[in-house]
Amino acid sequence: MSTAVALPAEITGAGRRRRRGSWLISACLVVVGVVVVMAVFGSAIAPQDPNAQNTFFILARPSGAHWLGTDSLGRDVFSRLIAGARTAFLGPLVIAASSMLLGNLLGLLAGYRGGRTDALIMRWVDLMWAVPGLLLIIVVAGALGSGYWLAVGLLIVLTVPFDTRVVRGVTLEQAPRPYVEAARTLGVPDWRIMLFHIWPNVSPVAIANAFLVFAGSLTSLAGLSFLGLGVAPGTPDWGLMLSEGLQDLFVNPIAVLAPGVMIVLTATSMNLIGDWLQERLSSKGAAR
Amino acid sequence: MTASTTGTVSTADPVLDVTGLRVTRARPGGGADTIVSSVSMSLGAGETIGIVGESGSGKSMTAKAITGLLPPGLTAHGEVRYGGRNLLELREKQWRAVRGREIGMILQDPFTMLNPVVRCGQIIAESLPGEARRAGRAQRRAEVARRLAEVGIRDESVAHRYPFQLSGGMRQRVAIAAALARDPRVLIADEPSTALDVATQREILALIQQIQRAHGMSVIMITHDLRVAFAVCERVYVLYAGSLVEAAPAAELRDEPLHPYSQGLLLSEPPAGHRVRELAVIPGSVPSPDQVAGSCTFAPRCAWAAPQCRQGTPPLAEVELPGVVPGRLSACVRLPEIRAEMMLARERAGREQHQAVAGRAETALISVRDARKVFQQGSRAVTALDGVSLDVGDGESVGIVGESGSGKTTLARLLIGLERATEGQVTIDGIPATDWPALSGGDRRRLRGTVQIVFQDPYSSLNPMRSIGWTLAEAITTHDRRARNVPARVGDLLASVGLPASYAQRKPFALSGGERQRVAIARALAVRPRLLICDEPVSALDVSVQAQILNLLTALRAERRIGYLFITHDLSIVRQITDYLYVMRHGRVVESGPTEGVLTSPRDAYTIKLIESVPGRQALTPRSATTSRE
Repeated sequence: MSTAVALPAEITGAGRRRRRGSWLISACLVVVGVVVVMAVFGSAIAPQDPNAQNTFFILARPSGAHWLGTDSLGRDVFSRLIAGARTAFLGPLVIAASSMLLGNLLGLLAGYRGGRTDALIMRWVDLMWAVPGLLLIIVVAGALGSGYWLAVGLLIVLTVPFDTRVVRGVTLEQAPRPYVEAARTLGVPDWRIMLFHIWPNVSPVAIANAFLVFAGSLTSLAGLSFLGLGVAPGTPDWGLMLSEGLQDLFVNPIAVLAPGVMIVLTATSMNLIGDWLQERLSSKGAAR
Repeated sequence: MTASTTGTVSTADPVLDVTGLRVTRARPGGGADTIVSSVSMSLGAGETIGIVGESGSGKSMTAKAITGLLPPGLTAHGEVRYGGRNLLELREKQWRAVRGREIGMILQDPFTMLNPVVRCGQIIAESLPGEARRAGRAQRRAEVARRLAEVGIRDESVAHRYPFQLSGGMRQRVAIAAALARDPRVLIADEPSTALDVATQREILALIQQIQRAHGMSVIMITHDLRVAFAVCERVYVLYAGSLVEAAPAAELRDEPLHPYSQGLLLSEPPAGHRVRELAVIPGSVPSPDQVAGSCTFAPRCAWAAPQCRQGTPPLAEVELPGVVPGRLSACVRLPEIRAEMMLARERAGREQHQAVAGRAETALISVRDARKVFQQGSRAVTALDGVSLDVGDGESVGIVGESGSGKTTLARLLIGLERATEGQVTIDGIPATDWPALSGGDRRRLRGTVQIVFQDPYSSLNPMRSIGWTLAEAITTHDRRARNVPARVGDLLASVGLPASYAQRKPFALSGGERQRVAIARALAVRPRLLICDEPVSALDVSVQAQILNLLTALRAERRIGYLFITHDLSIVRQITDYLYVMRHGRVVESGPTEGVLTSPRDAYTIKLIESVPGRQALTPRSATTSRE
């Protein structure tokens, strides 16, 4: 009965937090929203063809025709920026989603089952952590030939251990709780306990972690493109634009800065949204 | 251990005088929640007073306000006069001269109160007054040894040990020694014995009493347990929903409470001396002070509430009625009218005797033979069960009593397949249940449908992310895959534990402790078990709620012919709810027999010690002892 009064206080408490951070979170949501629109429609909404070269008009300063100027091949930077959102968004999305799926399954299994299963999974995780990730990608890409989806695949393999370890930790904390034991004594099957009892209590951390992974792999992929190990040359991609524009940094700085700013903005926004989501999700059921 | 002197409520020359204390918590959006609405009390020199209240009554916050240790966001208003000053006006720097030196404090949890990385001797040494602290090393060591001896620790090696190497009782002794190091004039003890075993609890209370007399200190004892208050306090203040409802000398309050709440609290305690058919309960749970502002705080739960109780907050006023000693305070406005009725209700509760069924059931539902359980902790082997044999018949209510570490919970976990016995046999309903993983799926399902468990902590035994309805529906469908009309059955289950069907939509955090425990019972009942293992199901609940749950269990037993294996450390609960009793110690059964028999004429030395340790036993038994021995 006393909760009837306690409730409004908790709601206002959460409201205050939301209000304080609201403009920042709204800004982040707008940034991510714009990037999503750019990624979905790509060149369709670009004012010009992002691949059209205009050799008479190279390295132009921003103007009415070219809002962010042109690059060394006379391509419109603004249009390339819009078209480049696709590779910037799609890869990290695939990485975050698959790593969340695999990492959560492995983490739940390791944390809940314990014993040999746990030892096996965690030794593999330890092994993966010991491997220098970037070096591995450079070696594999060097041997198999570079490619965007290869890089995405390698990054998934490299981030799954990260997710596994985090989820296992939270699962270990939840597994000995009486509500889990009560489900066990009722005869609820293990897979149901893992997915329907433990996972909802792990989910705030798991989801926040997925956002972290997204931001991390966005910068990693851009870095690989910058090194020439990602997308094929000529593709509109923020990382590639950065490396291509670098030599003309002082002629048209906007061509370099714009993709850089986009990478930083998107990654930061995703991080902040992840934080905010975790806070909201964990206060949802477990207001203690 | 009874209160030796009978003090009066108004103390002529108080050491500590609290007037109109009010504690509020600033609400994030502006405004404030009241935690303590009005507390006035006085503490005489060399006197022991008790503040008694359930959780949410504001008793701990009152103590924290008096010592200036309120958590951030909380503000104290009013006046706390000590040594000619209002303590609430002190600044943090000035507080340091008061805390420890003038007012000492002992807290509930001896496990977290002492710094785990500092040796016990050092903890006491750093609390010593300046001159003793700066003295030579040998002198300081001697002083520490003297302080430890004062709290009954003669073993000098304790000073060199870390807190985690000591038992709970020893830790509490070290904490008391540290609190006394600067010889404070006032000692505030916040539930000092709650986390301890019964026998240790008795020792600690006796120690506090003895030290209080030796030092001539004044003590404020904060507790939820009226029996503890009666055992050690001269005067008792009863706190309810942030305001005082009654103040009286302990002996007077025990004989005749003058507020319906105090009476309810007194009657909800399971009587230690005899069994009753049904415990008296206070319906509902403690409201927040703001919910009951502007009326009698107890009116929503009071059987005698009338319109006049809701017209303004009744003041705590002196009772002037025939036969009442002067100086007793009560906040009940209807007291003159209802005094006779209250007396009747008390007599009825005292008279109602209930004879337990003698003799055991013929068929054993559960039989445990020579069960041993050894836990491997690193290189150390800990024996939790050391050859336990036990039987529970069909429909029987069997109790297991023992202190923490006696192996009673391990035994319960063995029976529901959460642990596996190292040696010995467990048979449940004819199925060998020693090794659960080796059983066939059908056998395992039958076992699940035979034995279920209710855990101790109602706050963590329900999934916080799932609604009550989801949890119960899962319990139903797990056992009956073809179950139809699940929502209706969820409603039935909720009704059987006395909750409205609308609770199915709620999440656990919106429920009080007692309500959660009801849901946990409903979940166990969903599979229609024949035996319910109750592992300390009421020890985390308030006294008034505890009585509600015990009554519910009694009613369910009569209704469903269900048996109980009731695990507890509380002997008076065992008497109320079980027919047969096992007493466990160090993983062995030291005594067993019909509950009444064991409790009235115990044979084992340990059982005798347990029974004698119940606080205020001597004080509570006289009225009933004669009748229960007939």
